[in-house]
Amino acid sequence: MEPEKPDKPEVRTGAGVTVAEEAAPSVKENIKAELDLLKKKAAKESVLQEIEELKDPTKSQIYKSMFRVKHEPTPRSRSLGVLTNVFLHLHPAKINRDAVRFSYTWGMGGITFYLFIVLTFTGILLMFYYHPSKGQAFQDIIYLENDVPFGKLLRNMHRWGAHLMVITTWLHMLRVVLTGSYKTPREFNWSVGVVLLVLTLLLSFTGYLLPDDQLGFWAVTVGTNMARATPGLGAEGPFGPQMGMSLYNDVRFALLGGSIVDANALLRSYIWHCIAIPTIVSVLLAVHFWRVRKDGGISGPAPIQLESEMRAPGARAVKKQVG
Amino acid sequence: MDWAQLWTIVSAPDNVPIVAMLFLVPFFMWMGLRQARANDRLAEQLEGDPTLAKTHHRKTWPWKPHWSRELHVWPYLLRIEFLAVLIVTVILFVWSITLNAPLEEPANPNLTMNPSKAPWYFLGLQEMLVYFDPWIAGVVMPSLMLVGLMAFPYVDSNPLGVGYYTWKQRKVAIGAFLWGFIMWIALIFIGTFIRGPGWVWFWPGQTWDHNVQLYEINRDLPDIFGITSQPWKGIFGLLVVGAFYLIAGLAIHIVVTWSKFEKKIFERTTLLQYSVFQFFAITVLVSMPVKLLIRQLFRIKYVMVTPWFNI
Amino acid sequence: MMDGIVETSSMDTVQDANQKVEGEEKQKVTQTAEKATPPAPKAPASADKPKAAAKAAVGSSAGAKGKTVESTPPDPVNKMRRTIIWTAVGGFLATCFMMFLRFFLPRTIFEPSTIFRVGYASDFGFGVDTKFQQQYRIWVVRNAERLFVIYARCTHLGCTPDWKPGENKFKCPCHGSGYTNEGINFEGPAPRPMDRAHIELDPTGQIVVNTAKLYEWPKGDKGHFDEPGAFISV
Repeated sequence: MEPEKPDKPEVRTGAGVTVAEEAAPSVKENIKAELDLLKKKAAKESVLQEIEELKDPTKSQIYKSMFRVKHEPTPRSRSLGVLTNVFLHLHPAKINRDAVRFSYTWGMGGITFYLFIVLTFTGILLMFYYHPSKGQAFQDIIYLENDVPFGKLLRNMHRWGAHLMVITTWLHMLRVVLTGSYKTPREFNWSVGVVLLVLTLLLSFTGYLLPDDQLGFWAVTVGTNMARATPGLGAEGPFGPQMGMSLYNDVRFALLGGSIVDANALLRSYIWHCIAIPTIVSVLLAVHFWRVRKDGGISGPAPIQLESEMRAPGARAVKKQVG
Repeated sequence: MDWAQLWTIVSAPDNVPIVAMLFLVPFFMWMGLRQARANDRLAEQLEGDPTLAKTHHRKTWPWKPHWSRELHVWPYLLRIEFLAVLIVTVILFVWSITLNAPLEEPANPNLTMNPSKAPWYFLGLQEMLVYFDPWIAGVVMPSLMLVGLMAFPYVDSNPLGVGYYTWKQRKVAIGAFLWGFIMWIALIFIGTFIRGPGWVWFWPGQTWDHNVQLYEINRDLPDIFGITSQPWKGIFGLLVVGAFYLIAGLAIHIVVTWSKFEKKIFERTTLLQYSVFQFFAITVLVSMPVKLLIRQLFRIKYVMVTPWFNI
Repeated sequence: MMDGIVETSSMDTVQDANQKVEGEEKQKVTQTAEKATPPAPKAPASADKPKAAAKAAVGSSAGAKGKTVESTPPDPVNKMRRTIIWTAVGGFLATCFMMFLRFFLPRTIFEPSTIFRVGYASDFGFGVDTKFQQQYRIWVVRNAERLFVIYARCTHLGCTPDWKPGENKFKCPCHGSGYTNEGINFEGPAPRPMDRAHIELDPTGQIVVNTAKLYEWPKGDKGHFDEPGAFISV
């Protein structure tokens, strides 16, 4: 709004400071000036104009403050829409036209990430009704399934989502091998992916114990008994006793927080499952996605190379990616 | 043929993922290999026609020179990602509404269920426990598998095949990986469907009998050959393992240098790459099925017996 | 074969995208991909701007402006399909949100019972009895005509006041509210007297108290202390 030109040659009293060039204006005159302003605003044209502006919400200040890029089908808008969006800027502005095909990537990486988000969300909700203590934990699962609205659905979603995520991780790995997308320059990202696979399995495993039922209890018992068999670090592994390992100080003890699968094991499982491993996974996911972009984006579908075009060893063995 | 028993196993909610995998993995492999065949055919075509090779856009999908090579992520990629999210969400909801997550009785340290099985993705490890001692099956083998996986890109000296499906150009790499992948799934399959109470072998369709009598006795390889005292047992075992590595290594070498193309790749492979590849191939990919077979067919438990560990 | 799998929809929509590119400003977006060995697209048929050739080199869609793809007309935006999909997605998310809210209100809770017995009326002498303060958070008060039970919660912010026999008053340690020996507030920030619990006699004559049902005396009101369940006549 432009500053109004004063009717009289005087400084507006907006700042509370009056500089009198003539006689100081009386209060009555100021009020009159303000009333005139209001009358002008109330004048039909100005109100109608404001209503017109509101008809297109995308022109309002609220909208423009939230969405800084116009939603138009122009290349500029489309590119900026992705690049300036915190959630979407994982993507480049443009990709290989054949890479949008489902049959190339199977979408498994993205689906795995989506499942991770779903599991985090459902997991956090489940935490509202779960006490990680012996006896109470099992009761909480029963309570959740029967007395909490949608509790059964939520628990099922979490469990099956976890299994689905393991499946999609493996399918993603299979796809990467079949398309050779682990080769230079993506070798390191492949290793990060292998670590993520292990962490996914560990997340599943630590979650398995949390209901404190027979299924989880014995799965963890067998699993940690295998840890007891670690060479050197386990009380019953080769060379373990020679290294001074006993049931009370070996790697299994460190995992369980004790020599038996009991309350400490449950609490540790809970912490690993809900805090520690998800944090590590999040960090590694950030690395994994970063590396995907930095290594040149989705590897293909790339133009095929011919055997006869294979360069001599020592030369840059891999042709650069094409659009 | 006990169909009811089979159905009980297949329909157990916790087994549904592995049943799903039995359909998903072949489906996606088929989808990949289909494109691999198409790409290989194109490659053959281009190898035979150098002028075409110079002008072709090198993909099996159509493209005309005035077509853009790239598409905007917004909307083309985002909308298919959105669709994928919708489909996965629907699948997850339907699955969660129809099948309930299992919950057994409260944990009881004094009573073990029979059979007591790990979650399906660890059943492979649990099955390996039959053939190897816990420290190998539970610690050494999994670690070797993971390190082997991480080493995979570094020992693969074949420069072709980056970013597209192919079979002909990458037989060794894809073959080796699929061998391991399928073996892993086979172990899980055995652990889920074959192993019943007492971890006894039941063929699909056999009823799971909790009171079945087993008369198998396992023997050690040194004992079969009449060697009964240390250190001869240990030395014999060492010799057997050494011979195994040699024979397996030779066999692998013959397989991976079979064609002229593979021989060319072999020439570009450094000694370090090749020895690392051989080590993991023998120790993980070959030893596992061999151990499985000598156990199932000949009831041989250990090939090497020492006072400190047994293999 | 693969040729049959061309996605006409993606082609069409790339068209209408590129049609709109005509005449639009050039985008300054950098490309992440590089060109391959296949030949560069022929010089754009409608090279109206000289700058186009330079920008076209990196395979941008703007470089292939004008007649970019097949010359079939683009599909108009299918408004009905869009509406259906967005309504379905929106409805689903709204349902999920309502489920999310409902999830936080369990159908049953496990809290100690609020109904209990405190003995016979003859067990209590005149005045304030603190026998059950620790166990049930109540004082049993008896005067010449009545016996009633005060719920030991200060009406200011919920602390438990102390009974001061020497001063014949209840005094709340949190902010100094003071109550008479019958629980009527007279000093401090308490807005009204302390509430009294529902009290009745069971068939054997024992006093049954229910602290889930409380009788209040709000300021300015005549209060509920005289209602039948708020006291026992003795």
